[in-house]
Amino acid sequence: MKLAVMSCIHGNYEALNAVLSDIDAQKADQIYCLGDLVGYGPYPNAVVEMIRSLDIPTCQGCWDEDIVEGLNACDCSYPSQLAEKRGHLAHEWTNQAIHPEVREYLASLPMTLREGNLCFVHGSPNSQHEYLLPTMDGFAALERVLAAEADVLFCGHTHIPYLRELENGTLSVKVQQPGQSETHREFTAPLKRIINAGSVGEPRHGRPNATYVLYDTDSTQVTLREVPYDYEKTCAAIIEQGLPPIFAWRLARGMEFAERAEDAGHVCER
Amino acid sequence: MANWAILSGIEGNLLAYEAVLADIRRQRQPVTDLYILGDLVGLRGDSEAVVRRVRSPQRGESIPQVCTGWWEEQCFSLHGLRGLPDAPELVERYGLGAVKDLWEAVSRETVQWLADLDFGFHELDCLLIHGSTVSYSDELTPETPPITLCDRLIRADANTLFCGRSGLAFEGRVEPGALRSTVTTLDQTAAPQEQGKSPRRVVGVGNVGRAGGAPSYVLYNPGTDQVQFRCVQSSPARGFGAARSKK
Amino acid sequence: MPHLIAISGPSGSGKTTWISQFLKDQSTPQYYVCPGLGEISVDLARMGYRFPSVQVVPEAQLKTVLADLPEQATLYLEWGFHLDLGSPFLAELPWERVAVLPPDLAESDWHGWADRVILGNAVVAPANGCLPEIWCTPLTGQVFDPPSLDDLLIELTGGAYGQVCRMKGIFELPDGRAFYVDFVDGLPGREYTELAIPRWLSGRPDRFSGIEVAGYGLNREVIAQTLMDSALSDAALAQYQQHYQSLHPSEEAISV
Repeated sequence: MKLAVMSCIHGNYEALNAVLSDIDAQKADQIYCLGDLVGYGPYPNAVVEMIRSLDIPTCQGCWDEDIVEGLNACDCSYPSQLAEKRGHLAHEWTNQAIHPEVREYLASLPMTLREGNLCFVHGSPNSQHEYLLPTMDGFAALERVLAAEADVLFCGHTHIPYLRELENGTLSVKVQQPGQSETHREFTAPLKRIINAGSVGEPRHGRPNATYVLYDTDSTQVTLREVPYDYEKTCAAIIEQGLPPIFAWRLARGMEFAERAEDAGHVCER
Repeated sequence: MANWAILSGIEGNLLAYEAVLADIRRQRQPVTDLYILGDLVGLRGDSEAVVRRVRSPQRGESIPQVCTGWWEEQCFSLHGLRGLPDAPELVERYGLGAVKDLWEAVSRETVQWLADLDFGFHELDCLLIHGSTVSYSDELTPETPPITLCDRLIRADANTLFCGRSGLAFEGRVEPGALRSTVTTLDQTAAPQEQGKSPRRVVGVGNVGRAGGAPSYVLYNPGTDQVQFRCVQSSPARGFGAARSKK
Repeated sequence: MPHLIAISGPSGSGKTTWISQFLKDQSTPQYYVCPGLGEISVDLARMGYRFPSVQVVPEAQLKTVLADLPEQATLYLEWGFHLDLGSPFLAELPWERVAVLPPDLAESDWHGWADRVILGNAVVAPANGCLPEIWCTPLTGQVFDPPSLDDLLIELTGGAYGQVCRMKGIFELPDGRAFYVDFVDGLPGREYTELAIPRWLSGRPDRFSGIEVAGYGLNREVIAQTLMDSALSDAALAQYQQHYQSLHPSEEAISV
C-alpha cells in the first residue's frame, strides 16, 4: 500500500492543492496529515475544509492546539524578538479569522495516529512542541521510535523533510546494588526509522516548493517529494489579507516565517 | 578535595535525617557538599521539623543544596502554585484522605519556601535531580529499560545522573554499543554515521526516611568519580518518634 | 599650505576605505568631512570612533574650519555621488581631486573631473539621472536584540523593503559593543566590524549610532517599524546588562 504523509500546511491553500494533485498523480492509496493546518497562512478555514472533506486522518499540531486554547506558541521557538512579534501577529490574525466549527474540529484531533507498525505524530511522541532534528543523538532518536511502539515514526514540526534510519542499535546496562551481585542486560534494536514529512505551506529548506513524503508499506521505500506551485498567489494573499507582508518575502525564499527548529534538547515546559 | 553527600526521600523522618548527618560527620574524608534531592516532606513524621532542621545547619555542617521532588510537587498542586489542581497523583496513590493529611503536614509558609527551590543541579558533569529532566515523577530503577536510561542520560547532558524518585540505591552503567544512523534529505544522502558514546551512569541515591528500611544515601568523590553507598544503622528509637507538632 | 583633497566616486567604490589608510598617521593634523548628509551620518560617526585623533568636521562648521586650518594640516573631503562635481564650492579652493572608481568604468564624469584615478571596488555605477534615494535615521540610544538585527539586515539587504544599493549602519548590542555594518549591492555578504570603543554597560548609550540606506522604492515606514521591533525595551536591556555584569563583575560600567 502506498501512503502519502503531509504536514504543516499553515493555511497555504495553493500549496495544499498542488500537493493533493501530486499525491493523485503518484497514485497513493491513503493520505495522512501531521497537523498544523492553520497558522501564518492566509486561508486557514479553506485548508481545514479541504482536509475534512477528503476525510484525511490528521493529528493535532502545536499551532492547532494553540488556536484551540487561545495560547501563543511556546516563546522558546522564536529565535529572536522580531520573530516573536511576527509570530504573535500571525497568531492574533489566525485567531480572528478561524470559524467556530473549524476551532471545534481542531480541538477534536488526536495527538497520535497509528497504522500497524507505523506511528504518526506532529512533533514527537512526547509533545507537539518537541523537535526531532536529524542531528539529535541517535540513541535518543531511537528511544522516541521505541516509545511510540512503532518501527516507523512519522513526524513534522521542523519543516525540513528527511529520512533517518537507525540500524544495529545496541546498549548494555550493568547494575550494581549494595549487597547484591552485578546484573547485566543487553539490548538490541531492530531497524527503526524516523520520516519527517517537511512542510506543505511554510517550507524552510531554501525553496518555496511544498514538500511531503510517500511510503510504500510493502517495499518500505521512502520518497521525499518536492512540489512546485504558484507560490506568488499565496504571497499576494498574505499581503491582501493583512498578514505581515514579510511572510510573503520569506515564503518566496523558503525561509521560516518566525519560529525556527533549533534546539533539539529543549522540551517545552508546556 | 571535594566529597559530596547526596540524599533523598527524608519524608518527614527527622530521626533518620539526624542519623544520616551523624554518619556524614563520621566520614574520614570530610564531606564538602550536601545535596538533598527532594521529598523532604511527606505524610508521616514531622515535615515542618525536617524543613526547619534543613534550613538551620549546625556549625561544621555543609549548607544543604535542596531541590524539589514528588512530595513537594503534590504540595504545590494542593496550594495551587504549580501543576494540576487538587493533586490527582497524590489522590491516586494514597487516597482522598491524603489531601487533608498533606495539607496539615506542611504549612503554607513552608510550601512557599519550597516553591523557590531549584528543580535540580548541574555540577561538573553530573545532574542531580529528583526524577529526571522529563519529570519529577519519572521513576528510574534497575528494571528501567536500557534505552530509557540511555535517553534520560542524553537529556540530562551529563555523565552521571543522580536521582531519588525510586528510593532505591543502585548504580546503572549504560554503555551504548553501536548504532548506525543514515540521514537522507531532499538534496543529499549523508554517509552513514556510527554513533559511539562514552559510558554513562544513573545512580539511585536510596532514601533516608521511608518506612521499613534503614536510612541510605550516597557519597560521591568528583575527583576519583567513585560512588559509595552508605547505609546507616538506625537508632534504637526507630521510626517517627516524637508526635507531629501542629502549627 | 594645508593640503586639501577632494575624493569622489560612485557609492561603494571605496572612497572611505582609501581615505582611512591615511588617517592613521598622527604626525600632522588630519581633518575629515563628508557633506550632504547633515547631522545624521554614519560615516562621520565611524570615522570619529576609528580615528580619535582626526578632527571630524560637521558640514555646518566646514567654512569656519577651512578658514583657519593649520599649515601642516590635511583635510579630506568625501564628495558623495549625489553631490554636483561642478559645484562652486569645489572650484573655489585648490582641491587635489581624486576619484575612486570601479576598474571597468571606462568613461564618466569623474574621469573628466579628477586629477588622478584610484581603482576601487567593482561596483555598478548608477546611470546619471537615476540616482538612488537616500534614507537615514539616527539610532542613538537604541540597543538591538542581536538575532533580530541579523534577520533585519538579511531582509533589508535582500530587497525585502525595496532595492538597496548601499547600506551603512552603526548598531549597539546589549553586551555593550557597537558594530559597523556595510553592504554594497554587487559585493558579497555584509561586512561587520566591531568598533574599538569602550563597552557601554549601563543604561542606554549616549554616543551616535544610526543607519543609512541608499536604494530605490524604499519602504521607509516598514524599515523604521522593523528597526523598532528589533530594538530592546528598557526592561529587556536592563536584564541583559545585569546578566553581563554578573558574568564580568570586574569591568567598569560606563554610565552617563
